[in-house]
Order: sequence, then C-alpha cells, then structure tokens
Amino acid sequence: MASSEASGRRRSLLAGGLLLAMWAALVASYGTFASYAVRFLFPARRRDPSWTYVLDAKSLPVGQALQYITPDGAKITLARQGSGQAAEDFVALSSVCPHLGCQVSWEGQNNRFFCPCHNGVFAPDGTGVSGPPGDAGQSLPKYSVKIQNGLVYLDVPQADGLAQVELRQIDESERIVGPGHDPCLMADLDRDQDRRFS
Amino acid sequence: MSVAEWFSERLPVRGSDLRELTNEPVPNHLRRWWYALGGTPAYLFVVQIVTGILLAFYYQPSAETAYESVRYITEQAHFGWYVRSVHKWGATLMVAAVILHQMRVYFTGAYRKPREINWMVGMCMLVCTLLIGFTGYALVYEQLSYWGATVAANIADTVPIAGPWIKQFLLAGDTYNARTLSRFFVLHAAVMPALMILLIIIHIAIIRLQGVTEFHFEDEKSGEPDHFNFFPDHLMTEIIMGLILMVLLSVLATVLPATMGPVADPLNTPEVIKPEWFLYVTFRWLKLFSITTAVLSMGFIVFTFFLWPFIDAWVRRRWPKSEFSVYVGILGVLAIIGLTVWEGAVAH
Repeated sequence: MASSEASGRRRSLLAGGLLLAMWAALVASYGTFASYAVRFLFPARRRDPSWTYVLDAKSLPVGQALQYITPDGAKITLARQGSGQAAEDFVALSSVCPHLGCQVSWEGQNNRFFCPCHNGVFAPDGTGVSGPPGDAGQSLPKYSVKIQNGLVYLDVPQADGLAQVELRQIDESERIVGPGHDPCLMADLDRDQDRRFS
Repeated sequence: MSVAEWFSERLPVRGSDLRELTNEPVPNHLRRWWYALGGTPAYLFVVQIVTGILLAFYYQPSAETAYESVRYITEQAHFGWYVRSVHKWGATLMVAAVILHQMRVYFTGAYRKPREINWMVGMCMLVCTLLIGFTGYALVYEQLSYWGATVAANIADTVPIAGPWIKQFLLAGDTYNARTLSRFFVLHAAVMPALMILLIIIHIAIIRLQGVTEFHFEDEKSGEPDHFNFFPDHLMTEIIMGLILMVLLSVLATVLPATMGPVADPLNTPEVIKPEWFLYVTFRWLKLFSITTAVLSMGFIVFTFFLWPFIDAWVRRRWPKSEFSVYVGILGVLAIIGLTVWEGAVAH
C-alpha cells in the first residue's frame, strides 16, 4: 500500500517535472525566437571607418564647401578654411544638426554653418553658437581629414552591404543657402506651402 | 437536396443564431447622431484598408522609386488620383472622428467604472491612428514628408533611455537611409493596421460584454421602450453614416485632391517644416519648450489621459461634487485647438 502511494507520488512528481520542463522549453524556444526577431529589426553594426578619397585639394577654393553623402548615408560638409595644403586647412563636419536632424549648410559669406529649421548657428569649427544647438551646447560631429599627394581623404564609415549609396559630391546648385537668404528658394517654399494647405 | 440544406449541413449556423448574435439591444440615445461617432472611425478604417490595398498595387517603397510611384498613381493610373485622395482624406477624417469620439466619451463620463479598460484600449487606438497617419505621410517621399520623418525620429531620440532604440528602430540606422522607407511601409501597411484590428476586436468585445453606456435626456417621451434593435435599426443608421461619409470623401477628393510636393532632397532642408495637421499640437509644443522638457511633458500628458479613469475616480471619491474632469477636458480641448491653429497660422 505504502509502496503504491510512494509510486503515485513519484509519478505525479515526474508528471509535474515534465510539465515544467515542457513549459520551460516552450518559453525558452519562443523567447529565443522573439529575441532574434527583435535583434533582426535593429540594423547590423556598420563597419569601421576607413580613409576615402574625396577630391583634389586644389579644386575647392578657400571659403567654399561641398556636401557629401557617405556610403552609409551620413551627410558631411567639407569646407576649406585656409589656403594651405595641410589637413588643418580643411574641416569636415557632419551636416546633420544635432538638434532635430535637419540639414546644416556652410555660409562662406557669414563664416558659419547654418541650420534653417530653428535658426541654429555653428562656428567654423562646428561648435554651436546660437539657436537651440548653441543653447544646449551641441556641436557638429567632426570627421578626420588627411591630405596625401594633394588629394583630400575623409575617414568615413563604410556601407554595411545594404546601403548602396556611393560617396558623392553634391552639385553647388543643390546647396541650400538658408532661410531668407535666397529669394528663389523662398519662392519655392511659398509654393510648397500653398500646396500643403491647398 | 436544396442548396440551403447543402450549406446548413456543412455550416451548422441558423439564422436565429445570427440574429441572436447581432441583435444587441441598443440604447435609445444612439439614435442621436453625436453618439454614432464610434462607428464612423470604424467605417473610415475599412475605407483606408480598401484604398490602401489598391495603392499598394503600384506603390514602391524605396528612396529611388517611392516618389515616382506616387506620381504615377496620382497622374497616370486610372482613377489613381481618386483612390489616393480618398485615402488621404479618409485618414484626415478618421483622425478627426477618433478625436471627436474620444471627446464625447470623455465629456459624458463613459470611461468611468467599469469601462476603464476600454478607455485605455481607446487611447491605444488613438495613438495607433496617429502613428498610421504619420507613417503614411512619410511614404510619399516629398520634401516635407522626408524631413518630417527625420525630425520625428530625432524627437524620439530624446526620450530618456529608450529614445536611441526607438530612433534606430524607426530609421533602421542612425539616419534616414536606403532601408528606412520600406520600414515605414511595413509599419504603415502591415504592423499598425494588424494592431489596430486587434484593438478594434478587443474594443467591440468589451462593449458587447459590458453593454453601451446608457444616457437619458429630458426631452425623451415617457412610455417609449428604452432600447431598439441593432439589426436592422442601428445598422441602417450606420449605413446612412457610411453613405454620407462616402459622399463627403468623394467631394473632398474631387475638390481638394492629393497633390505632389517637391521630391525629398536629403541635402536640402526646407525652411518651413510642417507635419500633418493632427501633429501640429506636438510640433508647436516642441517649439515652446526645450526638446527634453517638451517630450517628457507630452509623454506625461498622454500617460495621464491613459490613466484618467482612475485619476478621475480618485478625485470624485475625495470631492464627490467636483466638476474637475470637465474643467480638465475643456482645458485640453482649448489647448488642442489653440496649439493647432497657432501652428497652422505661422511659418515658424
């Protein structure tokens, strides 16, 4: 009798253990799948930066800037601030405003970087001077520049296999000048506004 | 064997069962149009699904092709302008209808015990509707939709702790890139609608379980029955609403069709950035305070309204005759209208 009770207890303990193991396996397998699914949704780490040829140093006059999209989609403004042939005569800064991500452009005539979204102003070295970035002490991230045999190279992140954007030089005519600085641009914007509210 | 018998052998559902299932007694106050606003967003959601599926036949979610495919739909596809315009106006009316429905529920106190959970489900549906609207606008790949998405992702970035993950998830990277648009498309056309359908099922199931909140008015005639049948009486009301909405959508789509702005240029931020009208409140709020303060306070306000049935119950326990919720509601409505008009009226 006692042995049958003990055997019954052992059986129910075994059944309980098996049930627990089954639940643990279910939670572990679906949990693993869920963690893989979540990880999948976040892009793979981009590759380390590497030196990428940009342009012949002579082709960029002093006080002018060019904008680039790197292979991983980062937007960079390369400005020439000195007449020499050294890396210090050039500055490469992210042209994405650290406030809300709008495009910053170099204004040679005002010797500053300018963000048209909320009138953010940056010094030539990328330090926030006024507007929301200046108030928050934000600066434009800097990229390393090197000059080799008169050619300018930037240390930029490379594509991770999916982003197929080539390093490209943006035509001068595509550059934004800033709010209220370009009557043609303002006319375009007025037209866009009309469209938005029509 | 008749056709009816053939089917009844294979589908053992009787007409009386269906009548029983659908004939929920509907309170008399639902004869008033103001109280039929719950069905309006549901109807518009169906319109959005149908027009959205049609648009998906031509839409191509990549930076190189998105704008051109929208232009093709708008200018070349047969009745493409109509389908896209109905989709656009359907979204506008749906957001408006959800907000109006929520206001009606709020001011009539229909969120109170035992309907707290359904209020919270409703708040989730409101947020879901706004997110569907936002992701849909981003798909056009116009200048404003591109920069609107960029700014929104950067706003999300400022949320403490989870912000950078939200931004990474939305943009599929640190910045708007080649994978971003397809992500917005999946969120807009699959994930969010599926979530919305789930929320609608839960919302309606809770309504059926608890019954609709009943209201009585002074002008009601005595001796009349308190309820009427869902089928066919209330269904007829909903059909009339649907007809009116379809006429309204068609008129709006014809008179004010969806247009094309300039194509997105990642290297040229427009001087004036505006989101869709239903996000004007948020956008203006962001301009009034520092970004962290604005994001945190906005989150706090949304969370407060999410838990409002419990906050209101606590206030009413302490001050039973208080009209606190009404004053808060009026303040909220004035704030929504004021900030929306303000943002719409000025460039910056």
